[in-house]
Amino acid sequence: MGAAHSASEEVRELEGKTGFSSDQIEQLHRRFKQLSGDQPTIRKENFNNVPDLELNPIRSKIVRAFFDNRNLRKGPSGLADEINFEDFLTIMSYFRPIDTTMGEEQVELSRKEKLRFLFHMYDSDSDGRITLEEYRNVVEELLSGNPHIEKESARSIADGAMMEAASVCVGQMEPDQVYEGITFEDFLKIWQGIDIETKMHVRFLNMETMALCH
Amino acid sequence: MEGAELAGKILSTWLTLVLGFILLPSVFGVSLGISEIYMKILVKTLEWATIRIEKGAPKELTLKNSASVGIIQRDESPMEKGLSGLRGRDFELSDVFYFSKKGLEAIVEDEVTQRFSSEELVSWNLLTRTNVNFHYISLRLTMVWVLGVIVRYCVLLPLRVTLAFIGISLLVIGTTLVGQLPDSSLKNWLSELVHLTCCRICVRALSGTIHYHNKQYRPQKGGICVANHTSPIDVLILTTDGCYAMVGQVHGGLMGIIQRAMVKACPHVWFERSEMKDRHLVTKRLKEHIADKKKLPILIFPEGTCINNTSVMMFKKGSFEIGGTIHPVAIKYNPQFGDAFWNSSKYNMVSYLLRMMTSWAIVCDVWYMPPMTREVGEDAVQFANRVKSAIARQGGLTELPWDGGLKRAKVKDTFKEEQQKNYSKMIVGNGSLN
Repeated sequence: MGAAHSASEEVRELEGKTGFSSDQIEQLHRRFKQLSGDQPTIRKENFNNVPDLELNPIRSKIVRAFFDNRNLRKGPSGLADEINFEDFLTIMSYFRPIDTTMGEEQVELSRKEKLRFLFHMYDSDSDGRITLEEYRNVVEELLSGNPHIEKESARSIADGAMMEAASVCVGQMEPDQVYEGITFEDFLKIWQGIDIETKMHVRFLNMETMALCH
Repeated sequence: MEGAELAGKILSTWLTLVLGFILLPSVFGVSLGISEIYMKILVKTLEWATIRIEKGAPKELTLKNSASVGIIQRDESPMEKGLSGLRGRDFELSDVFYFSKKGLEAIVEDEVTQRFSSEELVSWNLLTRTNVNFHYISLRLTMVWVLGVIVRYCVLLPLRVTLAFIGISLLVIGTTLVGQLPDSSLKNWLSELVHLTCCRICVRALSGTIHYHNKQYRPQKGGICVANHTSPIDVLILTTDGCYAMVGQVHGGLMGIIQRAMVKACPHVWFERSEMKDRHLVTKRLKEHIADKKKLPILIFPEGTCINNTSVMMFKKGSFEIGGTIHPVAIKYNPQFGDAFWNSSKYNMVSYLLRMMTSWAIVCDVWYMPPMTREVGEDAVQFANRVKSAIARQGGLTELPWDGGLKRAKVKDTFKEEQQKNYSKMIVGNGSLN
């Protein structure tokens, strides 16, 4: 009863940091509690309770992204063991639609943030480059489970895509030049001019609080 | 002593009233119209309360119209559309975009787990249990709420508990007595009478108002009745309008006593826990039952578990392999007056019953539907889905292909592989490998 605003200070802080409205934060908090089983933190195991997620081929990478220190802005590498609600919101905020009313610089920054999130998903060893191995790893995950595709096909798809990326980034290569991997700058180059906004955002509805019942 | 005498007098008048107004009419299936009046008063009060909330609430609090409001707008376009657009080549870094977006949508809001918690109401129905963000609106509203609590806990609850007690004891005693008789049409008639009377009493114990539609399609003998499952009360609701043979596990305790008594009067199909695992045995016994055209129709809930009445989940194909005519029935509760969903992980049976008895009322609609049989060339799964769609459409529920067992278990690996197969078909099938 009453006092829905007892933690309003924290809510305002979170609003400022992540850009969600206070209603959306409240809703996400309920979801957080549901996922964590009313605990203050979530661990990797808690994501096992989402049946919809099981169908996703890159499920493990998505879950990993939640605990990635680079996404949580807590360090250059490594994984956290558990995340609290603020971390949860931080990861969610990567998927907020880009606010086109902000200045061009801000838009560019948001775009970079989203692409960086994606880059981290590929670059699993946090060395700043997507190597051929890492790329292959992603393709294999996406294609795993299909008995008709052998590992070889998955590899060749990855190799081909890598070569394309190399040609975009480096241009013509000498015959024995080794392409070490896609750096973040190369990654940005690949995406220059292409609109990723609609692909990488989740539309959070504007919730109006009401006498919302349990 | 004066006190004891007074108490005795009150108790006896109380019992006479109950007998006169509720029990006797139940025997004859007649309604005195008291519950209709009660419902009208209730509806008026709730409307008034809603208006007060709307008026009293500051500008930002407005009532929305949809029942299950989600927090995100899901992009329902199929995989092909979602992945195309950014592709020039066969495999793109962009595919990861699509899947991570889908993944995040699933994490924020997943369709399945939603169904295992009670439906959210749009306007408050004066029960605190259905209100999480209660803002103090006005003195009058609070007064009405307090009055409501008093009425519910001090007037309605004792009445309902008495009725339930009487109903269950009558059932046990009645069926045991009838069970003593030799098999005859008299026995069947009597057992029907006993069942119907006790069910009606129990329904009144919950202040249930049930509307039956399309009574001409009521399940016939030798058929199988199939319905969506929201709570154990579903059984009560259906048996008030006709007798069914029930299928289920033998329980201990109070349920066990009731089960053993009922089976004496008419042939229900109760299984031991160990027998339930043997599907062939189960199917065989059920087949035997429906082969006998004189036996009552079997009542089965193919979802296998309680769902929160906003959707219909996967129907298990076992019930549809038995053969015979299927009579689908759709049951939809009106959440305004009381939430009938049994969240078995949150509440045990007793606290659930208590919640039921302290709600305003249980109001529901039951639609009987024309019988369906398995068509040539249709396998059990397709048949099950067909019946499921029909029930969902009739009851105004959404349809989900998911298994209700997900409440407790995890997704089967075969489903995961389906998705991955689809995706890889797109990459390899459409273009050439680089």
